[in-house]
Amino acid sequence: MAVPREQLEADVLIVGAGPAGLSCALHLAQLIKDHNQSGAKPELSAENIYVLEKGREIGAHQLSGAIMNPKALAELVPGFEKSAPLDTPVTDSAALFFTQNSSYRFPITPPPFQNKGNYLVSLSKIVKWLGGLVESAGVNVFKEFGGAELVYENGAVAGVITEDKGLDKNGRPKSNYTPGYELRAKVTVLAEGPRGSLTKKLVSGKKLDNINPQSYGIGLKELWEIEPGRVEPGYVAHTLGWPVEMDMYGGGWIYGLQNNRLSIGLVIALEYTDPQFDPHQAFQKWKTHPHVRQILDGGKLVRYGAKSLPYGGWYARPRNGADGALIIGDSGSFLDSQRLKGIHLAIKSGMLAAETILQALKTGDTTSKTLGGFEKRVEASYIRDELWKVRNFHQSFQHGMWQGFVHTAFQQITGGRGLIDPMRVEAGYKHYKKRAASGPAKDEGDRFKGDGKLTFDRLTDVYHSGTRHNDDQPCHLHILDPGVCATKCVEEYGNPCQYFCPAAVYEMAKESGGTLKLKINFPNCVHCKTCDIADPYQVIDWVVPEGGGGPNYEGM
Amino acid sequence: MKIIAVTEQRQGKWNNTSFEILAAAQQIAAAASGTLSAAVVGKNLDALVAELAAKNVSEVLQVEHDLLEDYTPDGFCIALKQVIESAKPDLVLFPHTYQVRDFAPKLAAMLGKGMIGDSVGYRHEGGRLIFVRQMFQGKTAADVSFAGAGPWFASFQSGAFRADQLLASDGGAKPVHKVTVELKPEQIRTKPLELFKEAKSAVDLTQAALIVSIGRGIKAPENIAQAEAVAKALGAEIAASRPICDEGWLPMERQIGSSGQTVAPKLYLALGISGAIQHVVGMKGARTIVAINKDQNAPIFEIADYGIVGDIFEIMPALTEELQKAK
Repeated sequence: MAVPREQLEADVLIVGAGPAGLSCALHLAQLIKDHNQSGAKPELSAENIYVLEKGREIGAHQLSGAIMNPKALAELVPGFEKSAPLDTPVTDSAALFFTQNSSYRFPITPPPFQNKGNYLVSLSKIVKWLGGLVESAGVNVFKEFGGAELVYENGAVAGVITEDKGLDKNGRPKSNYTPGYELRAKVTVLAEGPRGSLTKKLVSGKKLDNINPQSYGIGLKELWEIEPGRVEPGYVAHTLGWPVEMDMYGGGWIYGLQNNRLSIGLVIALEYTDPQFDPHQAFQKWKTHPHVRQILDGGKLVRYGAKSLPYGGWYARPRNGADGALIIGDSGSFLDSQRLKGIHLAIKSGMLAAETILQALKTGDTTSKTLGGFEKRVEASYIRDELWKVRNFHQSFQHGMWQGFVHTAFQQITGGRGLIDPMRVEAGYKHYKKRAASGPAKDEGDRFKGDGKLTFDRLTDVYHSGTRHNDDQPCHLHILDPGVCATKCVEEYGNPCQYFCPAAVYEMAKESGGTLKLKINFPNCVHCKTCDIADPYQVIDWVVPEGGGGPNYEGM
Repeated sequence: MKIIAVTEQRQGKWNNTSFEILAAAQQIAAAASGTLSAAVVGKNLDALVAELAAKNVSEVLQVEHDLLEDYTPDGFCIALKQVIESAKPDLVLFPHTYQVRDFAPKLAAMLGKGMIGDSVGYRHEGGRLIFVRQMFQGKTAADVSFAGAGPWFASFQSGAFRADQLLASDGGAKPVHKVTVELKPEQIRTKPLELFKEAKSAVDLTQAALIVSIGRGIKAPENIAQAEAVAKALGAEIAASRPICDEGWLPMERQIGSSGQTVAPKLYLALGISGAIQHVVGMKGARTIVAINKDQNAPIFEIADYGIVGDIFEIMPALTEELQKAK
């Protein structure tokens, strides 16, 4: 049924108010101001830039470690040190290797783990601050609105339809029903973060895949308040080893923040072989390592969250070849997979997109002919330098640490080329071994419960994510082939969704007859997108829920 | 500019938004040196009409018919169409009420015109009347105006204008014109039944002194009757944790927890509830918490004043029996 929708016209529509989207908006507003002051025609206005943000507030869905390389922010907001909510400069960088009971500090911290000149920040706070600058530049940021569908016109992207509001759990209109708006724009910028739901559609629809599919990891984070004196603000440690098996890729972080706050987390590549591996449990286990335990002991969990991240780098960048659209930030694979740093590249990609868009608005040509200038600007910038050096880095680790170290050694001395260039990968979910190979199914009763002080079960952690959704709305996790779950998947993989989801959304519930049925507790969702990425049959489609739903990552 | 403001009444009682749009219509008419007719539709309207005639309007249009006694979209559209065709206004204004939402777009369409609904303001700009509508839940506003010839149809949101700015007549009662409309019973396709008020939500858990609450341990909807028997014997309300309401086994208004109600009864009896923090935040204020769960490690026991490790299906019937005996 065609729903009559209100239409609104914009010059530029940016989906996602993260570092990439907001930098694009802010830089474009600055460029438009200069353009108008120079008296050049046509006259443009920052008020015709719209930004959509599905979170309740700008910054609510931002989660990162985070160590920020400030160079892009310095270009975007000169003198940012005076006004940006930076937590603390990095003062000490350590690389630790964990065995179950001991830890070893690498005598020399390897270059990728060095962070001199970088800042420890709360990405949520930085983005909230950036959002303030964007709004005062005259840009409209619509909070609590997500991009649900792309609008096409003659094959070109022509805007976005926002999500319908006020539908009940069966999809029927409630008294507050408001159909989504049709926002038409000359240029649509997808800055949705990792595994953007519109980006996914655009990339598959327009065949924009690069030579490698995107590789992803999942990062789980807890923010703690610890006993004074345990960790100095500015101390940064990265851990390798226990409890991450050597056939997997992942590691932990410990960042000392101001006011006895501590950011800890674990990142795991979503290409492990055991379909019943539980990243949340691995994170909890990691906290019981003596080195971490003695830091956390007596402290208090403040907040929890999880988010996927794109590891694929240069060879997994979706091609920016669509008419009317650009893909930036994590959606565009602008993340250094070796250093796991993407904030500065997201900002830079947003700025380069802004320069490209100004050109398009000036000439009136918003086809890939002008927008293709984005690629050239990326090629000519330090984004390319940084990503090119590590273009084969993550691929080396797709079968674990040992092979990775060997490859990396060669890449280090050949400027990134290494033994194979380009090194290919397959999508991470293809790494799962079928049940017979990965051992018997785990019993649901054995799920990790935690001690409630140092370690937590998933529901307790989810509570600390502050996530909230209106329960009476259609489930935003679409199972494209529901027949698979209780039959084939039980036998072949033992329902990995129950294990990879860090928010206890998926549950194979026993019916009274003893049969299994998939139950989706979607209000728990923290919008990490892991399910969309890691499902072995690729039948989970994450779509935007009603705007305003999702976690509250204030301070994360 | 000739304006008709269509007021709204039901059973002789005003919808007060009517006066807000009358005030708006006065202001638009004054700025455009136009005339303003206040229309009211229904039956036995004399008292209401007199009230309108005491306001600063050019005239009052009294649209009466037996078939307009009760509101029907067909009746109101057919009647108002005739009014508009004979009066030939440039602009027809409505309060944005549920009733107007129901019939006004249809009326505009019958005349081949568009309608700007739910406006919050207007302004005159370059000889054009521009309406302001909120978009994105009030985060931005759009300017909208009519293309083509009148009559134009528009409605204003409740609260957009102030009824106390409505000007009274400066010189006695204004003229009242009774408008005769042709209306036949067969033209009206809906049969209004008696008006009713939606029953208030039957339960207010926040006021309940005693609550019996069930969780996943109840296993199947057919087992809820056993918990309800306990509640009845105790004189308590029945409530549940999220999974139960999620399944639709109990209505959502009986859900306790972070996404449901927060309660603080004298007694909270938790049957088969594990005590996830999402539930606990909704009931930890209870004065006495009694928990029954077969898992002795269930977190609910950490906050319970009294705990029974056991099978609720054994305990519920026994408890019901003892409670009945004690009465």
